[in-house]
Amino acid sequence: MSLDLGFWALQGLNALQLSMLLFLLSIGLTVIFGLMHFVNLAHGSLYALGAYFAATLAGFGGYWAGFFLAPVAVAGVGVLLYSGLIRRMRKSGPMAQVLVTFGLIFAMLDLTRLFWGDLALAIEVPEVLGGRVALLGIEYPTYRLFIIALGLAIFAALAFVLGRTQIGAMIRAGVDNDAMAACLGINVERLFFIVFCVGCALAGLAGAVAAPLLSVTPDMGLQILIPTLIVIVIGGLGSLKGAIAGSLIFGFVQTFGAVLAPQLASVLIYALLAAVLVVKPVGLFPAKG
Amino acid sequence: MFKHNTLRYAVLVLLAAGALFQALTAEYFGLEILTEILILAMLVLALDIVAGFGGMVSLCHGALMGVGAYAFALLAGQAGIAPVLAMAGAVAFSGGIAWVIGAICARSHGIYFIMATLAFGQMAYSFVFESPVLGGDDGISGIARLDLTQIGVDLNDSRSFALFCLALLAVVYGASVLILRSGLGRSLSGVMHNEQRMRALGLTVWRVKADVFGLSGMIAGLAGALAAQHSMFISPGLLSWTVSGEALVVVILGGLGTLVGPLVGAVAFVVLKHELSAITTYWHLIVGVILIAVVMSRANGIFGWIEARWGARIERRVADATRKQQPDGVASDA
Repeated sequence: MSLDLGFWALQGLNALQLSMLLFLLSIGLTVIFGLMHFVNLAHGSLYALGAYFAATLAGFGGYWAGFFLAPVAVAGVGVLLYSGLIRRMRKSGPMAQVLVTFGLIFAMLDLTRLFWGDLALAIEVPEVLGGRVALLGIEYPTYRLFIIALGLAIFAALAFVLGRTQIGAMIRAGVDNDAMAACLGINVERLFFIVFCVGCALAGLAGAVAAPLLSVTPDMGLQILIPTLIVIVIGGLGSLKGAIAGSLIFGFVQTFGAVLAPQLASVLIYALLAAVLVVKPVGLFPAKG
Repeated sequence: MFKHNTLRYAVLVLLAAGALFQALTAEYFGLEILTEILILAMLVLALDIVAGFGGMVSLCHGALMGVGAYAFALLAGQAGIAPVLAMAGAVAFSGGIAWVIGAICARSHGIYFIMATLAFGQMAYSFVFESPVLGGDDGISGIARLDLTQIGVDLNDSRSFALFCLALLAVVYGASVLILRSGLGRSLSGVMHNEQRMRALGLTVWRVKADVFGLSGMIAGLAGALAAQHSMFISPGLLSWTVSGEALVVVILGGLGTLVGPLVGAVAFVVLKHELSAITTYWHLIVGVILIAVVMSRANGIFGWIEARWGARIERRVADATRKQQPDGVASDA
């Protein structure tokens, strides 16, 4: 193994790409939790659903149909979930929410198997993004760069919306103190609904962009769930800063751990999580102090 | 504090009688299912102690069970220690690990506690999965069962093994009741209901949590040692977080914080799983829907629901009796 610049650039980009994928997933989950105090373990299933929708839609209208329509479809599923289950579970404790969404994981796992079968599906990368780009002395797949760019763009957009617009201020107020926000005339319930739908759409988007990289299987939602939860717990619940910081920490620790210390790699991230929880039990950048 | 009432005794007697009957009459397949139920019942007892009486919803109990199984396999197989001692060692080891996890996680609450235990569970899972000494992905096979031929019991016979598990489960149940009734168990209930007040009373809260978590881990470890002997094969899958999740599902289906309920849940879950997987490969879907329905119904699981109905009936009867005793309708202060 040569530890030259190319190696670091390659692994750095890999880490960044993993981080951005996790960011797309964790931002929805963390804001839903911060705003609604709702623990949605089924977020990973929505991601899997996004990948399946994208795979199916790509069969009809090519990659971009899946890319744009899968998030919309997943948001639609989110609307159904919200009105059927989640609105009713709002006032229950975290325990009941964990269990209901755990049940949802079971149900959605088998529903995807029922509709799409057990075999893995694959999507082709669109031609525009199919090649490789020379960068920092290495050749890097364009599609992975596209994911990094997409993640950064979404981050910038969310940072702008949350930090600079009125609805962002309302969301932050709701996360900080929902009762007070409601007293000030903010329709917190509607806000919840919007945030939940956007979170679902982002999960669907993550699934759609991940589909060409990984094979689309029913248990992909379960596999991504633990990393996503680790990200939001390391980062601290409810904040954009926490989500991006947690994603970057996870992505880099996981990627560089795997190449530099393969024996320790898988234990490393959990040890890091345990250490964070011991030192700062509410994560690094929680939305509330 | 945990108390038995008539209903709980009745259900316990029914369960014990049913298990004994099954153990004595069933054929091979029935005995395998019975043993599976008994081992799962032991695991969910351990989980109910911490989750139902201490508010510590743990997602690492599957991993603790796996630790017990691996410790037993290593001590009895590779190290060549007598199986009885190996079993004691496995129980002590998983108890120790659980104590440390409990001590570290004692400061976290709610979702953070769940996540922290999940992290430790996954850490153990990855460690086992990656380490070649423990067989990695392939697991360890050829684990010997306990040798009790000196007292005339051959555990390689599935009937004897089922009875052995049943006896151990009875002991564990008794021990759990004793733990919950002891000073430690009462402190634990106090911590669950009002941690600040218990701290103000001078209690070292993290110690109580860690101690109970350790004891619960010992029970989970015993379940693991039994599971290893039952299937004579262990793999990292035993430590996966979905096992912990399923155990939690069983506790909730049965009735959190009732000790008897999770036993009912274990029976219901295993039987349901086998019946459903015989009919359809999509049994997870049905279990998921049942789980959602049970939690949304706001009843405390199957047993909790029965108990609430039963309690309401008793209350009505008491109210009727009081009314008869006081025909002139004078309200009593009692």
